[in-house]
Amino acid sequence: MLAMMNKIRIFGATMIAFAAVAVTSSCHDKRSTGWEYAPNMYEKIAYDPDQKNPNFKDGKTAQVPPAGTTPIGFTRFDYPNTRAGYDQASLEVKNIIAQTQSNFAEGKLLYEHYCSPCHGEQGQGDGEVTKHGYPPPPSYSKGQSSRGGAMKDLTDGKIYHTITYGVNAMGSYASQLAPEERWKIVMYVHKLQTL
Amino acid sequence: MRNISLLFKQFSRSVLLIAGLTALSFAAHAQGDKAKGEALYKAKCTACHKLDQRSTGPALGPIMTSETDDKWLTKWIQNNQALIAAKDPKALKVYNEYNQAGMTVFTELSDGDVANIITYVREEWKVMQEKPKGGAATGEVADSGPSSSMVFALIGIIIVAFIVILVLNRAIGTLERLLLNRKDLLPEEEVTDAVVIDRFATFRRLLKNKKLVFFVVLAGVVAFGSWNWVTMWNTGVQQGYQPVQPIAYSHELHAGVMKINCQYCHGGAYKSKNATIPSLNVCMNCHKVVKTESPEIQKIYTALGYDPGTQKYDTTKARPIQWVRIHNLPDLAYFNHSQHVKVAGLECQNCHGPIQTMKEVYQYSPLTMKWCIQCHKRTNINGLGNAYYDNMLEVHEKLKKGEKVTAAMMGGLECAKCHY
Repeated sequence: MLAMMNKIRIFGATMIAFAAVAVTSSCHDKRSTGWEYAPNMYEKIAYDPDQKNPNFKDGKTAQVPPAGTTPIGFTRFDYPNTRAGYDQASLEVKNIIAQTQSNFAEGKLLYEHYCSPCHGEQGQGDGEVTKHGYPPPPSYSKGQSSRGGAMKDLTDGKIYHTITYGVNAMGSYASQLAPEERWKIVMYVHKLQTL
Repeated sequence: MRNISLLFKQFSRSVLLIAGLTALSFAAHAQGDKAKGEALYKAKCTACHKLDQRSTGPALGPIMTSETDDKWLTKWIQNNQALIAAKDPKALKVYNEYNQAGMTVFTELSDGDVANIITYVREEWKVMQEKPKGGAATGEVADSGPSSSMVFALIGIIIVAFIVILVLNRAIGTLERLLLNRKDLLPEEEVTDAVVIDRFATFRRLLKNKKLVFFVVLAGVVAFGSWNWVTMWNTGVQQGYQPVQPIAYSHELHAGVMKINCQYCHGGAYKSKNATIPSLNVCMNCHKVVKTESPEIQKIYTALGYDPGTQKYDTTKARPIQWVRIHNLPDLAYFNHSQHVKVAGLECQNCHGPIQTMKEVYQYSPLTMKWCIQCHKRTNINGLGNAYYDNMLEVHEKLKKGEKVTAAMMGGLECAKCHY
């Protein structure tokens, strides 16, 4: 009788032990990173761009270049964000990159990633977000520009100026697109203007 | 008493019915113009204007209600740029107030079309202003009126009942305490003493059982050992980590529903080691215009020092948002996003999981060395038409032909080969 009792107890104790292991190992707090071996390796001494940084006044590692400086290999665009700057860019600025198939293909990809959410794959101003209430932009081929003239007549300089500074509901894409990328997109937009 | 209330009910019903009918007839009278105006308004104006707040252009509700000169308004809407060119003082004032942005020319709209739009805007604005005050006397209001008062009465009754229960509970509590104070507590202490002795005895009896002690110790060792194993195995593995972010940004909405490509915000993944968290100006590309009233979007405005009313930034008030990093490789491992996205052509979801369905992002992959190595062993490289491998393939061709190959040809002169 006693042996029987013991067996049950031993079995019970083992089961409890297993249950405890299962609970401790499965009970994992999703809000916590858990333990880190050598945490210095995780909390880096070398700063990542997204990391905070006490060495700068605003606490960011990713600093904006000082005003008036030009990075090496950067093409400047010295037309102000005004109506006059827009008109002047239209007269003077021409696409600086080679009109090649590969540039065109890259322009298409960049257009699809950065522009089509609003402007639509075919540039008709019917992108996905406009179906959810975002004010739709005019069509490249059929619309009217808010700054006068038809959208299909927009010049290199005008499109580049708009990508750089934004207009109306569109923001500036200068921080997201390098000058060469903007020019590739201009190439592709010219094609959409003919649709 | 009952008679009076019945009479009153009938009287109020007939009054409401008459009011509803007159409202309906008025609406029917203005409907033709307003409906046409609404269609035109939604096709032509909503890209830049909202009725109740400033968007790209001014809020149309108040400005078109206060501006009573319909002839001037028509001219402005049809061809504002002609008015500006003619140096019309009113037009110049608006033009300069909105940073000389200018408005799209709508020469295709006839005077009648413009009149329809103006009617729609003014009437819709009137309706919008009246809404919070309870609206006009229509049938719907008559129906919902009594029911809402009923609900309030019910809530009131529940609150009163709750208060009564609380008070009674309190009273019972004090009474019980009074009773307890009068009782003699000595006999109870004796009882607890006996229990302690009893427990101790069972424990001693169990200790004498060697087999039981052995198995308890064994179970303990097994339990501790497995816990240790699991814990050490998971140390530094942050799979499933899902911290609370300062702004409740949903990838499910932006990447899933809106189908915005990952590159739109994380362009760095194509160009650099870091995939980059977008700076707030990227949020503002859209949220200058949409969801301006959402408290989560207001956090962006606060962080930027942006005033949605004037659409001006005050950089002295700007504070960076401190997002919580989820995917964090220790410094002992180097990972480059562009190498995987641009050269290998991997989809983001390959490592980050179904990000387009995540309301709140968590770490999908373990990011352990085993996980990296497994993929590096299984994945074939695509060398053809891939600029990254051009040099390597060239060197291989030379080796095949038995030509001389130097370390420099294999990138041996790259700075970081020595100076890292």
